[in-house]
Amino acid sequence: MKLVRNVLAIILLITIIWVTFLFISYVTSITILYTLEQFPGNILLSVFRVVIGALTAGAWIAGWYKLTKLWLYKILLPRREET
Amino acid sequence: MLEALAAALATFLSAPLMIALSRRLGIEGVDVHKPWKPKVPKMGGLAMIFGSLLGISLATWLHGWSIFTPISAACLVAALIGAVEDIRGEINPKLKPFLLIFASLPILLFGAYSPRPVVPFLGRTRLYKVYPVLVMASYPVVCNAVNGIDVLNGSAILTSIPFFVMSVIIFQLRGEQALMLLALIFLAASIALLPYNLYPARTFIGNSGSLFLGAAIASIAIAGSIEIAAIIALIPQIMNEMYVIFSIRGIKSAKMIEKRPLKVEDGFLIASEEEDSPITLLRMICAGARVDERKAVYAMTLISMFAAVLGLLTDILLIEVMI
Repeated sequence: MKLVRNVLAIILLITIIWVTFLFISYVTSITILYTLEQFPGNILLSVFRVVIGALTAGAWIAGWYKLTKLWLYKILLPRREET
Repeated sequence: MLEALAAALATFLSAPLMIALSRRLGIEGVDVHKPWKPKVPKMGGLAMIFGSLLGISLATWLHGWSIFTPISAACLVAALIGAVEDIRGEINPKLKPFLLIFASLPILLFGAYSPRPVVPFLGRTRLYKVYPVLVMASYPVVCNAVNGIDVLNGSAILTSIPFFVMSVIIFQLRGEQALMLLALIFLAASIALLPYNLYPARTFIGNSGSLFLGAAIASIAIAGSIEIAAIIALIPQIMNEMYVIFSIRGIKSAKMIEKRPLKVEDGFLIASEEEDSPITLLRMICAGARVDERKAVYAMTLISMFAAVLGLLTDILLIEVMI
């Protein structure tokens, strides 16, 4: 039963990552990729776009890892006092 | 279809030869998850490589599709790097990603890509300058991700099969016969090696096999313009690799890591409960449970199948409508 519960929990985690990835792929495309590809004239705006894109992507990856740690230590693994 | 059948037959029939050759050359690894710790030949993946390349050569001869040449070359470069690792021992883990960039060169030199990927909610993009850099980065990432999930008997092949199935369906829907056949050839060769690689494994696929599979997946994703669907289908492999790198704070050799993510008791896998142990997909699957190796591999496969379904849904609902 624990194996089934673990698989379902990981599937739920993957679903969350999938939904957020769709958003992140859009954000990075209109910020980082657009700027690097098109080199729009306004340098300040270009830097701002890249920074925003990089921060969003970085926050997403950091959030993904934090969420995984939470999933593993708070949900999947039994609490220490119970083992 | 004939080409895929030939790939499967060639893989299945040549596997015993590769196993014998691997034993004779002493290229063996210890199966650490078995209580009796057997020595298992490591070069079984060569059969899959041989079978796939035979199928591709047959397809090239029959149809004259030029797209197959760079893809075969890319896969061969990755397999060669893996073979060196199988024969001579582990390559410096920081050097390996750089070497795998070379696998992208045939794709770039032959121009076997379209730098206009479709992004969900945005539509078709134009990435003429950025896309080649992304192609170069994709091979180390995907090859290492597939390599990293090759921890149990059959796990690398079984978790790659859903991607190939997803690719076949997408290319069939798009009417891209050449790419569909290519994905089918890799799928057939992978399935044909399973009887030798499933629990209890008579051969490992080795680094040559896992890097070949990774390069095949990256090549299909790039040449077939199914990048977004591929990334989603590969979430289990990518997250496994990312967790390891993050939790051990960098790209390090497995030998340098003191804490193990799992321990084995009487043939059952038990996840470590220590917070400084590396996080892996397998550790999450086994958390708080005693899991039989076979069931753990099936769980990994189920998770990969789910990710591939998400990739397929994304492609059908958000990508195809924008093409």
